[in-house]
Amino acid sequence: MFRYYLGLALRSLRRNIVLTVLMVVTIGVGIGASMTTLTVFRAMDADPIPQKSAQLFAPQIDSWGPTDNPSEMEDKLEDQLSYIDAMALMHAQRAHRQVAGYATGFALTPENPELKPFKADARATFSEFFAMFDVPFRYGRGWGSDEDLARAPVVVISDELNQKLFGGADSVGRSINLDDQEYRIIGVMAPWEPVPRFYDLTTENFAKTAQVFLPFNRAIERQMRSWGYTNCADRSEPNWQRLLDSSCVWIQFWVELPTAKAAEDYRLWLDDYAREQQRSGRFSWPAYTKLRDFKSWLRNEHVVSHETRLLVLVAFSFLLVCVLNATGLMLAKFMGRSADIGVRRALGANRRAILAQCLIEAGVVGLAGGLLGIVLTVLGLIGLRGALSEQLVQVTSLDLTGVGIAFALAIIATIGAGLYPTWRASRVQPAWQLKAQ
Amino acid sequence: MEILPILSAMRRNKVGAMLVAVQMAVTLAILCNALSIIEQRLAASARPSGTDEANVFAISNQWVGTPPDESALVESDVTALRAMPGVVDATVMNSYPLTNSGSGDDAYLAPNQQKPTAHMARYFGDEHAVASLGLTLVAGRNFTAQEIIDRERGDQLVPPALIVSRALATALFPKGDALGKVIYTRGSRKEGSPIVGIVERLQTPWVASGPWAHAWVENSVIEPYRYLAQSSFYLVRTQPGRLASVMGESGQTLFALRPARVLDKIQSMGEARRNVYRDDRSLAVILAVVCAVLLAITAFGIVGLTSYWVAQRRRQIGIRRALGATRGAVVRYFQTENLLIATCGAVLGIALAMTLNRLMVGSFEQQRLHASYLLVGAVTVLLLGQLAVLWPALRAASTPPALATRSV
Amino acid sequence: MLEMSHLSKVYRTEVVETHALRDFSIHVREGEFVAVSGPSGSGKTTFLTIAGLLEEFTSGAYRLDGVDVQGMNDDARSRLRNAKIGFIFQAFNLIPDLSVAENVEVPLRYRGFSAAERRRRIRQSLERVGLAARRHHYPAELSGGQQQRAAIARALAGTPRLLLADEPTGNLDTQMARAVMELLEELHRDGATIVMVTHDPELAVRAQREVHIVDGQVVDVAVEPRLLSVAGASARTRF
Repeated sequence: MFRYYLGLALRSLRRNIVLTVLMVVTIGVGIGASMTTLTVFRAMDADPIPQKSAQLFAPQIDSWGPTDNPSEMEDKLEDQLSYIDAMALMHAQRAHRQVAGYATGFALTPENPELKPFKADARATFSEFFAMFDVPFRYGRGWGSDEDLARAPVVVISDELNQKLFGGADSVGRSINLDDQEYRIIGVMAPWEPVPRFYDLTTENFAKTAQVFLPFNRAIERQMRSWGYTNCADRSEPNWQRLLDSSCVWIQFWVELPTAKAAEDYRLWLDDYAREQQRSGRFSWPAYTKLRDFKSWLRNEHVVSHETRLLVLVAFSFLLVCVLNATGLMLAKFMGRSADIGVRRALGANRRAILAQCLIEAGVVGLAGGLLGIVLTVLGLIGLRGALSEQLVQVTSLDLTGVGIAFALAIIATIGAGLYPTWRASRVQPAWQLKAQ
Repeated sequence: MEILPILSAMRRNKVGAMLVAVQMAVTLAILCNALSIIEQRLAASARPSGTDEANVFAISNQWVGTPPDESALVESDVTALRAMPGVVDATVMNSYPLTNSGSGDDAYLAPNQQKPTAHMARYFGDEHAVASLGLTLVAGRNFTAQEIIDRERGDQLVPPALIVSRALATALFPKGDALGKVIYTRGSRKEGSPIVGIVERLQTPWVASGPWAHAWVENSVIEPYRYLAQSSFYLVRTQPGRLASVMGESGQTLFALRPARVLDKIQSMGEARRNVYRDDRSLAVILAVVCAVLLAITAFGIVGLTSYWVAQRRRQIGIRRALGATRGAVVRYFQTENLLIATCGAVLGIALAMTLNRLMVGSFEQQRLHASYLLVGAVTVLLLGQLAVLWPALRAASTPPALATRSV
Repeated sequence: MLEMSHLSKVYRTEVVETHALRDFSIHVREGEFVAVSGPSGSGKTTFLTIAGLLEEFTSGAYRLDGVDVQGMNDDARSRLRNAKIGFIFQAFNLIPDLSVAENVEVPLRYRGFSAAERRRRIRQSLERVGLAARRHHYPAELSGGQQQRAAIARALAGTPRLLLADEPTGNLDTQMARAVMELLEELHRDGATIVMVTHDPELAVRAQREVHIVDGQVVDVAVEPRLLSVAGASARTRF
């Protein structure tokens, strides 16, 4: 019977081609819009480090107090730590791994005197960064805790920088000139572009990885200022000493806690630490800390912009209009055929048979609409390329899951649109139709 | 018109009428909010920065390492830039408008005031800043060379004079008597600085859209510093028509003076504007496309459904015509029917639009919907319905009366 | 075959109550060719739709081929209708999208016959009505008479126990009407049970016997037509 209904459906759709095209286009456009925005949303919302994210946490400490707190964060807790707090947390070594870090940069003078010096984005961080975030290496390795302590002038460089300076060769052991200082290359990363750049979301969500990684203490020794966002309670611009001594926040901090118990323990310890600060007189307010898990952190940092969420909402509302439209068109189509349905009923079709016939017809429209929707989604994503940052464009694509969602959405939308018209069609009384003759 | 018979005829096809009404309502809700957002974004991206954008460009300068004689280096750089043919003036600054990156501060009217009177952006510039940016001084005077202090990053200084934007002046002194008054910042709570000049307009570097941004997007203060830091910006203003050529040569000029530097970006104010508003423009374009397609879909849907209704009532129409109804009367019948449905849809739609807007404001930090958008949206949707029903109505009107007498 | 006892059908709308059939009884035996006649509005079409299980009745009893249809749900009625009854409508009611063969096939599909069985039955019934050559034509390509014959083929394909015809020649000219009536008489001679509703007395006499309906009730056909115009004052006889 299915093949029979399928044949009938195709014939019926062909007969009134305008109406069919209208229905397919309606569904297709609705699917296209929804899937385009949904794909972008999924790319933005995706876990950049799924194998590790469950174990990564970000501690937050209120180092400004409740009075006159100029923080713009919703819960008045800044997303960075002060130098004192960051160093205290590093020294305490209470987590399986912990790293403090901040974004900075150099003027890199290439060996080749023909080339002009260029800007190199850098990250000052600790040795455990590479193991914590599963950073892949092409040559060499990260530095160890010895180099951390010794403030060694060693760097890990990115694959892109290695290509630019050394043509991609093994440059471990060679040195580069950063701000008139020689640094020894100890490792070269393989291409690593987490999207979003979760470990530092203070300036941009979808920025590129830094070109150079160097030990935190070395950067401090060289008085390298943060190229990110420095936020002081009194909104002033601090000099170097103030930066280290004050409650200005400018350092990002991550901890790795492998088990739930470890996380709970750390959370309690963090609170203890803040209370300790209150006791010692540094904080004059009750302890206020948070240990955010990975997903919560991304949400707090608004990785998925309001505009994106807004567009997803608009797109799905648009799909609703399309479904309503399709319902109207299908109502017109099925009810316009009540004579046909009445005859079939008279010839022995029960209501289920009519239901099946109509739903299959709706299903064919849904399939065609889904196909069109997928094509439109691909076009839509291409069109959006100009609007998204380069990093995001790399990971925004319609994968198999997306195609599946698109078809499912199309079928559900079309069947949903067809439910009422089908129900009405099945209720056509054979007698009524005949009487009208 | 015969509204009651139309209503009772519609009752037989309740669901179809409701479908059209609900569809129009949702369309209206989306349309109003989308138009509102589009207007906001386009309006925001059209706001003037206060600078002479057509003739100003910025060079981002970064020293290699920390040269010991920064002040002399900067002085020679700036002198060389000013000497270039076609250049009106040049200066060094910490930031400039349309970049979303800069320094902020709070302004107080009294030394120990608790809450700040206004928020503002701080620009560090010397006596050449006003001319280099192409600002318009409307009251008071520019800085004198003696007032300028060399400032390293993080220095805690009390400026001897300030130039503020008119918006900031009004925010601090609504009576309009800002000139000569002393204001305090977060950094210098005890010792204030007098306002010596007011410029017509100077935007903060941050131009994001959102309810809070609009409040102080033109609150700026210029502090009389020559900014000395590893990274800073040279702002250069050229004579009209000379921008491109000066931009092209400026890099060479600076490298000739000292090669150990990074000139990461040489960008005109026009480019800066295009970059900083790129997301706003994209959003506006996307929403505009959505609106256009939405209206098209709804229009075609109404055409389709009305065609079906017309076909259903062919007999009735034929009878009416046979009884003397004119073609115009038939068309008016369907137009009236559509108007009734559309009005219900519009009323529902306005309620939906306001609900949607509340969601936008609460969860997505958008702005409140202006009542004028509801009106525009309602009129658009009503007109759309009337236009869409015209073709099937005209077809119905041309039904020959002979159809009424046919029993088959 | 077809037994109705004291059947009544009342249509209720908000404002008016119409008694389409009242205290209606009829008995059609197997192999009979019965014509049901009456003026328009007499209820003969209602009788037909109820007989064809297309509508439910308000009160009374109806047995079809020995099966009491009271209380049957829609599914059961559909199955019964599909298996036992063949319809011939005044307006042919062929589905325009489908060819002649496909039209004949429709009731067979709902019956659940295999493809081979369906093909056999279609061939047989088309040959029976003389349309085998036109099996791939579409209704729009056929004359009125041919269309009605196709409809008859469709009615026959499922080897129904009962043929119900509603003004089968109403839309045909004299020549075609004659051809269709001859076909019906032929089928009757071959053993079919036929109930034909018509308002044409000339057609009615070609049947085996005639049942006359006025105002929803059976009336003795022998009674003078003149007396029938007195509302409700005529003698009622049961067949």
